[in-house]
Amino acid sequence: MLQGVKNQLNVTIKTIKYGLMREMINKTSFIMNVIFMILNNASFIIQWIVIYSLKEDVGGYTFNQILLLWAIAASTYGFSHFIFKKAYSLSDLITNGKLDSFLVQPKNVLLACITTDIEVSALGDLLYGYIVLIISGITVSKFILFTFFSITGAIIITDIAVLLGSLSFWIGRSDMIADTGNNLMINFSTYPDGIFKGAARILLLTVIPVGLTAYFPVWIMTKFNFKLTFVIIVITVILTLVTFVIFYRGLRRYSSSNLMISKI
Amino acid sequence: MRKYIYIYKSELMSTFQYVINILFRLINFILFIFIFMNLWNYIYDNPNELINGYSKTQMIWYVIITEIIWGAIEGRKYCRKIVDDVRGGNIAYMINKPYSYIGYAVSGHLGETTIRIIISMVVGFTMGIIFLKSFPALTAPAVIIVFISGILAVLINLLLITFIGLISFIIEDSNPIFWLYSKMILVLGVLFPIEYFPGILAKIMRYSPIYVTCYGPAKLFVDFSYMSSAEILLSQIIYLGIAWGMCYLIYKKGVKKLNVTGG
Amino acid sequence: MSVISVKHLTKTFKIKEKKKGFSGSISAIFKPIYKEVKAVNDISFEVEEGEIIAFIGPNGAGKSTTIKMLTGILYPDSGEINVLGINPTRERKKLAYEIGTVFGQKEQLWMHLTAYDNFKFFGAIYDITEKETEKRIEELSKLFDLEKFINIPVRNLSLGQRIRCEIVASLIHKPKILFLDEPTIGLDPVVKESIRKLIKKMNKEYRTTIFLTSHDISDIEKLCKRVVIINDGKIVMDDSMSNLKYHYMDKKVIEVKLNTKVNFSNTKGINILKEKENRLRIEIDTKQTDLTTVLKLINPENIMDINISNIPLEEIIAQIYRKG
Repeated sequence: MLQGVKNQLNVTIKTIKYGLMREMINKTSFIMNVIFMILNNASFIIQWIVIYSLKEDVGGYTFNQILLLWAIAASTYGFSHFIFKKAYSLSDLITNGKLDSFLVQPKNVLLACITTDIEVSALGDLLYGYIVLIISGITVSKFILFTFFSITGAIIITDIAVLLGSLSFWIGRSDMIADTGNNLMINFSTYPDGIFKGAARILLLTVIPVGLTAYFPVWIMTKFNFKLTFVIIVITVILTLVTFVIFYRGLRRYSSSNLMISKI
Repeated sequence: MRKYIYIYKSELMSTFQYVINILFRLINFILFIFIFMNLWNYIYDNPNELINGYSKTQMIWYVIITEIIWGAIEGRKYCRKIVDDVRGGNIAYMINKPYSYIGYAVSGHLGETTIRIIISMVVGFTMGIIFLKSFPALTAPAVIIVFISGILAVLINLLLITFIGLISFIIEDSNPIFWLYSKMILVLGVLFPIEYFPGILAKIMRYSPIYVTCYGPAKLFVDFSYMSSAEILLSQIIYLGIAWGMCYLIYKKGVKKLNVTGG
Repeated sequence: MSVISVKHLTKTFKIKEKKKGFSGSISAIFKPIYKEVKAVNDISFEVEEGEIIAFIGPNGAGKSTTIKMLTGILYPDSGEINVLGINPTRERKKLAYEIGTVFGQKEQLWMHLTAYDNFKFFGAIYDITEKETEKRIEELSKLFDLEKFINIPVRNLSLGQRIRCEIVASLIHKPKILFLDEPTIGLDPVVKESIRKLIKKMNKEYRTTIFLTSHDISDIEKLCKRVVIINDGKIVMDDSMSNLKYHYMDKKVIEVKLNTKVNFSNTKGINILKEKENRLRIEIDTKQTDLTTVLKLINPENIMDINISNIPLEEIIAQIYRKG
């Protein structure tokens, strides 16, 4: 069992490493992708400078907290897209029969297929997160919390991407649904929760788990809260388990389905 | 011209298969408007307040219009397609076809996005009317002028993105340039009118693509005058010519390079 | 001992159909129409240990679907499969350690890595220790002559070298059965030949059972002792190569160039395939009329040129398809 986990981890790390090596063959475009993504993200600082020039607090967030919100959103996104790029095109893998080559290997199919490719520009997002963290004032504890929540956040949004992608097992092409769902989380996670009222706010903090990936971490980094941290950990674990179960259910459908439009 | 209409029509037809997906994408659009309604509601302390000359209602309508124009054209996807055509060598096959690549790309993508633009318009206007309970007082000729200005904005946008995509002839991958361009449009054009920015910046922006692709039609919609429409339409026509010229030149140069290296 | 045993295997696919035109596009959204296709229709066969068996048939005959079911990628609608005592549907992972797969159209190697690094990666996938993997790589590279290019990135290899590496990669974990799905598709004759040699060699050295699909007849002619022909999801023939040839050997094709005309209308078992001025192409069923009779009829004195041949295997198989 333990040996199995070790072997699995070994293969997964190797896969990511080789994916990175592949992208680094063309160094110019690699570096350009990363730098341009950092600049790209930085443009949003202008947006918030304009908004904060009109009002001192927006939705209960100071300018510094908005920076923190952006930082955590960016590095969460970066982490997830960098390592698990294919989680975001799972629908394509499923509907075009591209899981076959993973199915004949004696390793975890989900991990194998989502780590098979990396997104270079996401490295820019990841770095950007840390740059903004430094700008907003970094401390050791903030750094640790930030890294921790970037990882839990990345796991959560990857889980959701996999769940949305897995819809394809049942309904065929679902890439648009998945894209929409994934975008929804990103969009909300870059605006302070305080500007939303009523049902929308409750939804954000519960069903659409932006609270877990963005708002709570900012609150916790501002003032440590053990309970909230615990909630994030527990939900991350449960969500991940559910994701694996659902994916493997779907996989059985993939194999037994007769709706695959794959070439006979 | 007929062939472009035909390309446009076939792309339009093929999108019908994805109507459901288009509707889903719309959620992003609704969400965007929703977030900005909330944001401006929070920032305006009372409904009669004017910020930089705009009332709250005007601000929200402004964002609705710019987002219809900018959001519905799916620039990112379009740019990626052009870059792929250039890098994947697809373009080499099209050189000896009896149509211009630029015309092919623009009309094809326009066909793909027409449904989205129409649906975005319907949804955007509905949301505006329901939540703002108002509609700018526009006469029939004004409506036509705003509409024409909107179409010109879309065309200029597509040509500029075509140009950015074609830069791949020179550098390996011009997608990152598009990201920057799109962020510039979004932050400086879609979200805030030019009046929100300090003197020199605002002056520069008057001559930038932002003025003709975002600000122009949206400004006309929320605050119409024949004076400003003349100015805006004229700028748009000039920009259309410039953008087309830029595409034409870089394409010609790129094809030459392609002929030399053999793709 | 049979390593693969298949009984009454069936798999049906549903394929979406779209009516023509604008209204068709719209109605496809709300009321998709499906057409059922029996990709594999009640097939049964056994494969013995160490055998090289070929599954041939035209495109869409059900070859790939069968291979996918045997490797656990697809589950059958009905029927039984047993591969090395394992049910692929229920124990896909366990089976994965015992079999190797090469899908001709899909590359499984990392293009930017050397063949050597790729092999090590596959070693990790199959839980083989570093040391053991290295030993195995050495052995395989000697056997299959990879030493010259094993340390070059795969993308810089020639197509033939690349495919050889693909196959070797699938042998790292000493599979008992190797599934090859169209391994020679799109390759030039020289490369094809080297692949066939490789397949033969590994079958001989390791007694690896080889299950091969192809629509290239020459693959089968040169490699296999046994042929299964599948068409429209059904097995239309399952026989040894020599039998297959033997049964169809009683037909000969004669091509002659003559200086007079010959009348065959009174002779049985002769089928004129082509006649053009003084050139003639006929098929003879030697069970009905023997060759000597025909040659006498032609009269050797009139012959300017002659060529007598067996029916090419491709044609034999095409005939079988038509019958099936």
